[in-house]
Amino acid sequence: MSEKNELLFEMKNIEKIFAHVHALDHVNFDVRKGEVHALLGENGAGKSTLIKILTGVYSKDGGQIFMNGEEIEINSREDASEAGIAVIFQELSLVPTLTVYQNILLGKEISKFGIVSDKAEKAQIQELIDRYGFPLKTTDVVETLSVAQKQMVEILKALATDSRLIIMDEPTASLSSRESELLYKIINQLRDRGVSIIYISHRLEEVFNLSDRITILRDGKNVGVIEKEDIVPSEVVKMMIGKELSESTASRELSTSDAETALEVRNLTHIGYYNDVSFEVKKGEVLVLTGLVGSGRTEVVRSIYGADPYDSGEILLNGQVYKPTVKRSVANGFGLIPEDRRTQGFSPLLSVTKNVSLTSYDKIAKGGFVNAKDEDDLGEKAVHLTDLRPANPNVQVGDLSGGNQQKAVLGKWLTRDLKVILIDEPTVGIDIGAKDEIYNIIEELASQGVAVLMVSSDIAEVLRVAHRIIVMREGRIIKEFNHGVATQEDILLTSSGFVSEEEAA
Amino acid sequence: MKQMRQETVRRIISLVLLVVLTGFFIATTDTFLSWANITSMLREAAFVGIIAIGVTTCIITGGNNLSGGLTMGMCCMVFAHLYKYTGMSLIMLVLISLLAGLAAGAFNGFVVAILQVPDFVATLSTGMIFQGITYVLAIRNQYGSITSEMIKNQTVASWGGKLPNGIYYVTIAWIVMSLIMQFFLKKTKTGTYIYAMGANRKSAEYSGISYVKIKMIAFIIAGFCSFVGAMFILGRNGTCDVTTGAAYSLQAISAAVIGGAAFSGGRGDMIGTFIGVMFLQVLRNGVLKFNMTTAQQAVISGIIIVLMLVFDAYYNEFMQKRTTRAAAIAREKEGKGK
Repeated sequence: MSEKNELLFEMKNIEKIFAHVHALDHVNFDVRKGEVHALLGENGAGKSTLIKILTGVYSKDGGQIFMNGEEIEINSREDASEAGIAVIFQELSLVPTLTVYQNILLGKEISKFGIVSDKAEKAQIQELIDRYGFPLKTTDVVETLSVAQKQMVEILKALATDSRLIIMDEPTASLSSRESELLYKIINQLRDRGVSIIYISHRLEEVFNLSDRITILRDGKNVGVIEKEDIVPSEVVKMMIGKELSESTASRELSTSDAETALEVRNLTHIGYYNDVSFEVKKGEVLVLTGLVGSGRTEVVRSIYGADPYDSGEILLNGQVYKPTVKRSVANGFGLIPEDRRTQGFSPLLSVTKNVSLTSYDKIAKGGFVNAKDEDDLGEKAVHLTDLRPANPNVQVGDLSGGNQQKAVLGKWLTRDLKVILIDEPTVGIDIGAKDEIYNIIEELASQGVAVLMVSSDIAEVLRVAHRIIVMREGRIIKEFNHGVATQEDILLTSSGFVSEEEAA
Repeated sequence: MKQMRQETVRRIISLVLLVVLTGFFIATTDTFLSWANITSMLREAAFVGIIAIGVTTCIITGGNNLSGGLTMGMCCMVFAHLYKYTGMSLIMLVLISLLAGLAAGAFNGFVVAILQVPDFVATLSTGMIFQGITYVLAIRNQYGSITSEMIKNQTVASWGGKLPNGIYYVTIAWIVMSLIMQFFLKKTKTGTYIYAMGANRKSAEYSGISYVKIKMIAFIIAGFCSFVGAMFILGRNGTCDVTTGAAYSLQAISAAVIGGAAFSGGRGDMIGTFIGVMFLQVLRNGVLKFNMTTAQQAVISGIIIVLMLVFDAYYNEFMQKRTTRAAAIAREKEGKGK
């Protein structure tokens, strides 16, 4: 046992500062030999920053890193792999048109005078595959493999370079349950062979099953290291959230609970994205869909807007069956604040006025000519309604701060006669002050009778603006919370897989 | 069932196209299958084919090369100019033309890989430079107008010759170079890196492969191909015209695309490009026998290229969607089985 507790890797007092904010504040973190060590924390807790420092993407602003007791510097990816650290990426980093063996040995070919010995390479990789019993052929071309198989190739690639520390970042996010089982087996096998693994996942159940230890980060600080025997799920969740929030802030009653239903979705299914989703949004209500990234929330919203198709089920608008297309949705008073405002929300080189009027040319353009006076009025109106700063409608949207860019996007829809607004992660990358203003705009919209359907992963935000909350997981609705009854803990436990569908129902 | 790879499907399509077209012309004309017609077709194809070797290599790295034919024209003119105005030995003339080809390739590589200009616009502009140089070096009469002058040299003329069986040297050069390049791409480290760089640049760079080096190699190979083509053009024509090679750039790209090279990179090889070049040549030759104009044949080959590009754009996306769907359905079943 003493050998098992031997440290492989240690980070001491690691600091990272972004624009005067401590992304990592004197974090200590260590990994033993042959250990699966999970890194837990909410989005923004500092997990990815820590991993990026460990793999040489960022350089640390302070602290020390040790490998096998020796201090090392990691300033590049090469340094990291030299030290025996490998990452299995969420977005896979293989060459799709090359074979399994070519990928594993890329940059380390067995060759004479520059001519590759296919035979020797295949034999070496076959041996590696046999040792771990992966269902792979050396000559398979990577683009024909399943996601799970591609992951195995990545793992083999790490092993082929004698990596002693493998980082897995959400490895099961796109695997089926059977494929995940296989991955767990592989992880156990690696551990038995003395390989150490840093495991990052939002699925708490699998984290607790797999890991020998867990380290919990919150607001850039290490708030606890727990041995497997001492894991109590609810305690861990409390440590992740920080405050004991038994009382939620979502105590907002819908002023008219008997309001008419504006939007209804019945058994909506898009195979591979979401399944059998039903809910309704009343006029003046804010309904929030939450859950982990990839749970199908965004996809549901995009289908309702007509930006993506769906396979079965129906959508009702004011009680009438509604077949969405983007054009029809705009005409029927829908608005969409997309997930990624930079690529989908606005044109950075155009002014606020131009951006706002783009969605309203049906109103202000006659016979193909834009009425300049109407357009300017629209810009002024948008600036006024959203309290945009600087209060100048002629500024290029690309030059505004994140919060004001989002206000400009909101302005596109606020200046129209809005019935339903679909909002996807409205405050990502926006500072706290501007967040509040955006929440106020959303609340103002709801109080005017607009039905608001919002997607958000930020639990504090969900509790702040929602009248009702629906938690989705793996494309299904798991549980619905009414105003005032949900806590951060409930939502986190439900979305990360601790409450099953049956329990929830 | 495993999905067929884009390459496999494209190889089948291009082969079928070539066979059907050839079969059609054999059946409808009597002269198509004559030995004289075949050798002359292979000769014409070889000029485009040699340029296409370099262009395909550039396309596999995820780039493009619009300057292949114009580089060839420049190499040609460098030779003719020095022949006319200096008394250099033949060997010097060849070496300097070679240098011009390699320098043009290196310059393309420099603009693309080091100055980071996208391949398409970079080689479009460098092609203009090379064409400009061709005009500057053009041979002029005493009034300053461009003329062409015959290169009366036995050795140069012999480059345009053929074997006793009627097969031209240029055809042999094309085939040998294609085979060497195929071996290089598939069996050497650098060849593997060329594919890796085109299919996933990040992954290649993380594996320690230099983007600049791979791009340089691809463009210099293309420059070399242009030089070889230029020497055979001199052999065939015995002279150099300012417009020499200009048409080859686009034909070479067309051939590569028909043969399965994808602009997204990482796909394509010499066998495919060979098929592509032959397809264009058979089409050109057969169409002439039907008294159709070159304009009409351009319409046909243009349409086929558009269809190929559409196929490339949608095939992988379509297959991806199909697999995602199948996997999701399997997951559902699995879930209900529990």
